[in-house]
Amino acid sequence: MNERKNGSLNLVRSYYEDYGSRAKELVKEGKRFIGYICSFVPLEIITASGCSAFRIRGDVHEAITKGDTLLETIVCPYYRSCFDLSVKGRYDFLSGLVIPHGCDSMVRSYSVWSYSLPFNFFHFVNVPTVCDDSSFEFFHEELNTFRRSIEKFVGRTISDDDLNQAIRIHNENRDKVRTLYELRKKDPPLISGSELTMTLTVGSSLPIEEANLLFDQVLAEVSVRKEPPLKKGPRILIDGACIDNIGLIQLVEELGGNVVADTICNGARDFFPRTDEGGYPIDQLARRYLDKLNCPKTYRANKTGTFEGDIAYRFWDIGTYAKEFKVDGAILYIYRYCDPFGFEVPARKAYYQSIKIPLLHLEDIYSAGTLGQLRTRIQAFLEMIG
Amino acid sequence: MVDEPKEAKPKKRVTATRAAASIGPMVKEFITSTLQARAEGKQKLAYTFIVCHHEEILRAMDVIPIWTENFAGICGAKRDAERFLQRAESLGLSRSLCTYALCGIGFDQWREELGQMPPDAPWGGQARPDFMISSGQILCDPRTKWYQASQQFMPDVPIYNIDLPYPLFQRDQDHREVWGYYHKYIVKQLRGLVSFLEEQTKKKMDYDRLRELVDLSDRTWNLIDETYKLRRAIPCPMGTGDAMNTMVPICFMMATQRAYDFFVELKEELEEKIAKGEGEVEEEKYRLMWGGGLPAWYALSNFNYFNSKGASFPVETTYRMVAPLYEMDIPETKDPIEHLAWRWLGYWTFWYDRARKRPGSEPDVERLINWIEEYKIDGVVMHEAFSCRTWHVGLIWQLHQLSKIYKPIPVYVTGKDGKKEKVFREIPSLILESDIIDITSYSEVDTRNKIDTFIETLESIRLNRAD
Amino acid sequence: MGFFLGIDIGSASSKGMILNAKGALASYELPSGGDFKKTAERIRKELLSQAGKEEGDISWTVATGYGSKQVPFANEVKSDIICHAKGVSFLLPSVKTVIDVGDLYTRVLRIDNQGNVNSFLLSGKCAGGSGRVLQIIAKVLQVKVEEIGELSLKSKKRVDFSTGCAVFSESEAISRISEGFKREDILAGIHRALAAQINSLMERIGIEPEVAMVGGCAKDVGLVQALKEMSGYEIIVPLNPHMTAALGAALMGLEVVESKLMRTDDNEKSLRRGP
Repeated sequence: MNERKNGSLNLVRSYYEDYGSRAKELVKEGKRFIGYICSFVPLEIITASGCSAFRIRGDVHEAITKGDTLLETIVCPYYRSCFDLSVKGRYDFLSGLVIPHGCDSMVRSYSVWSYSLPFNFFHFVNVPTVCDDSSFEFFHEELNTFRRSIEKFVGRTISDDDLNQAIRIHNENRDKVRTLYELRKKDPPLISGSELTMTLTVGSSLPIEEANLLFDQVLAEVSVRKEPPLKKGPRILIDGACIDNIGLIQLVEELGGNVVADTICNGARDFFPRTDEGGYPIDQLARRYLDKLNCPKTYRANKTGTFEGDIAYRFWDIGTYAKEFKVDGAILYIYRYCDPFGFEVPARKAYYQSIKIPLLHLEDIYSAGTLGQLRTRIQAFLEMIG
Repeated sequence: MVDEPKEAKPKKRVTATRAAASIGPMVKEFITSTLQARAEGKQKLAYTFIVCHHEEILRAMDVIPIWTENFAGICGAKRDAERFLQRAESLGLSRSLCTYALCGIGFDQWREELGQMPPDAPWGGQARPDFMISSGQILCDPRTKWYQASQQFMPDVPIYNIDLPYPLFQRDQDHREVWGYYHKYIVKQLRGLVSFLEEQTKKKMDYDRLRELVDLSDRTWNLIDETYKLRRAIPCPMGTGDAMNTMVPICFMMATQRAYDFFVELKEELEEKIAKGEGEVEEEKYRLMWGGGLPAWYALSNFNYFNSKGASFPVETTYRMVAPLYEMDIPETKDPIEHLAWRWLGYWTFWYDRARKRPGSEPDVERLINWIEEYKIDGVVMHEAFSCRTWHVGLIWQLHQLSKIYKPIPVYVTGKDGKKEKVFREIPSLILESDIIDITSYSEVDTRNKIDTFIETLESIRLNRAD
Repeated sequence: MGFFLGIDIGSASSKGMILNAKGALASYELPSGGDFKKTAERIRKELLSQAGKEEGDISWTVATGYGSKQVPFANEVKSDIICHAKGVSFLLPSVKTVIDVGDLYTRVLRIDNQGNVNSFLLSGKCAGGSGRVLQIIAKVLQVKVEEIGELSLKSKKRVDFSTGCAVFSESEAISRISEGFKREDILAGIHRALAAQINSLMERIGIEPEVAMVGGCAKDVGLVQALKEMSGYEIIVPLNPHMTAALGAALMGLEVVESKLMRTDDNEKSLRRGP
């Protein structure tokens, strides 16, 4: 623990390199962790049950050696990596797993996960694809089903007070992340993109209280920095799904860019929206997870009758962050076989054009081995906008 | 991937039944009639997707559905999808995405750019819709994204997206505990569709007519089930090759008298064939199940190739989008919309109870086991289409699980002591790989080599059976 | 006594063998080239001349492999999987699992002690799970394909490849070279990546010992070693692993004509000595 005061980023790095090491220690002390995939899982309900939520992560350095035995290679490569690590036992210390309706890869492979892993608790959260009154009603019920299911597992009821308490502590977590993002606004930023993504990724593997403490320490360490970690360079926004390995961000920064904003699932998409406090907690959670998470998986009707109006409405977050963080260029980083994001590429491209932000679109698999290929393209892009 | 010359036109598949042979012209007529309706402008045209249990609503409102997956399939079957796929790619869409959708978006963009049909569009092309009705259900992301992407090129065409979820199978949860709120939600979603259509057509829904159409399609569901069950006969009178034609009335014509009549005729034809002992193949040696995956539309003649080896396909999981209503445990209701919602839930949860009873089973696996027994199946064939996660993720695992929990084939093996002993083995399986319409992924040589080997495997199992 | 010709036209190389019930008389291998028909004719000509026989002496010809349907003089075409099974089972009767790593595909078969195939699996479309990736890497590293096995075994610090895809592996290898990694370490990495893919096929089908590896790539000791480590199974490689399909094809001709192969000790031994 002493290490934290002086080198919280060192601790972040060590947790990042040995992902899950802290959770494993705590499991030995009797703590229970529930694994989850995708930002659509309402973590507050897990926290309120007395368990801790643990985000399952892939590993770009690890070749898929077991996963293909049970899962098709047309599954999203990030998800395949998560599955591969899981069947290899990397996450055996978990007590259970929750998978939401995030994309076809998740839905269609739910049985594969639940029959192949040694956990006692599995649950699928059916997240609606539309946002209207009836879908909130439905999602409210579905969250209560999840609540009952986890109650049965832990053997105690989750009261509304428990939920309210969990909402508060998760909101604190999100507020701290917001403050960390504030440090990116300096030019050059006070915290590098890879430091930030590493910190948030690690945060999702710790009990929420510990994550909050760690974020405070990182904030304390970074905000008093005399020397910024990066030289001034083009300010880049990373747009995409879950990018839980810092390879890409590191590459951009190595080539002189400053990653200062993102829309990614283990970044702004998940950490910026707060859950409203007060009122019925399940209602508030339904609203946050259904409406406030801006994911292409959710269909948002075009209310304007024009394409320009449609994209301004759907991609508001990109425009807002681009302005707020004074972005010079964006990288749209899409995994191959990702239907939700993949079909939006033409519209997203058009949106970037409309807000006059230069864009580099990359399609990639989830592997450190492809970074070499990306290097030249990123370099050229940075030179172009620099 | 293998580069091999591909014929511009596929070999025509020979059908076993008259009914299946009548489908081609039917589809062509349907495409032509949508183009005509577009020109006349009297009826509204809607882009939409199959298996959403909303045909009755559309037809009751006199809206003509344009099944966009069907048109993409036609482009594929005519081996003319590539130019539309390339157009989609040039817009920034990855070839790894659903190729039906890519083909459709590529086509739409081209038609909108020209203000008329792209040159030599298959069967005259796909008409511009008045509106689009999508639903990703909980199994197909491309369906919610496709029309949204197409709307970029026709922003004046509104979309109504219906959410149609169903409870996913969870071993330790009875789906009936939750399906009440699923039902409530689906009803509201479908009522939302009615309001949308009323607004678009400036007409009011005629609920009596809707009730009649729902009743008609219910009767058609049961009739299809009875008809297809006739294929249990030995030899099997109609195979999956034909079923890839007869899926047309099931998927594109439901809630019409014509679909009902089609199955009346098909049923009679099958009964005739059974009475005469006529099979899909002359000398039936192997009975196979098409156990998963959409077909490669440009290579349907492979079913004939299987037939030429004495293999028949009495049953398929693909496009059998009906289940007998009388076996469904769903509440009675007089409200047609409520009934549609129950039927939706009844269909998707059809195998749940049985799967829960067999250790290690799961609905898709359970269906395989039941049909292997009912249709006396010797082997399972699946197709992995690389661009579609909806129907093709989980197939490897299903086969894995099937072989783990179900070993029905008795064979003699020579033990260590040289004595013969009887053991039970799993059903053999074959996975073919290519795509629904992207022909660049397909190799006929490889496919047929795989089929040959599989047939030889079946033969050696047949010879070594211990019963 | 008849003579039997087995001919295996692969996508990269083609092999042929003439045998009779007493043993093998001739065997020959050629790159397949673009014209399978011509290649088949050339192989037959060479085999006949090696064996000192005429076309008319051949009682039965079985063709197999990728281009088997283009062999004009074949009496019968059999799939290469069936032929490999026959060939392997003849040479190594106790083998139950056969891995054939070819140029385009990797196949894993489960066979019984009669050489019947019980089940089989092929690697996916991507050439990453087949021998082609080794050829690509050999080219990038400027090493002869025949030498990569030995070289790979010299590796003391394997480079870990994170993808098994041929296209990505090539660029990954190029970046590794530019980063100064040794050729043997890169090769060992590729071998491991390929072994992982083969192993996943093996696990899918279920491994039953003994396990044999055949096909051109079975000559690559680096790959065989990597697969041993990966799977935890001993892997037997017959003397001429690339010839087993041609052998099996010829044996099937013999079975057809003699309807029953008399497996006396003599002819078995003489065949096993091989050409």
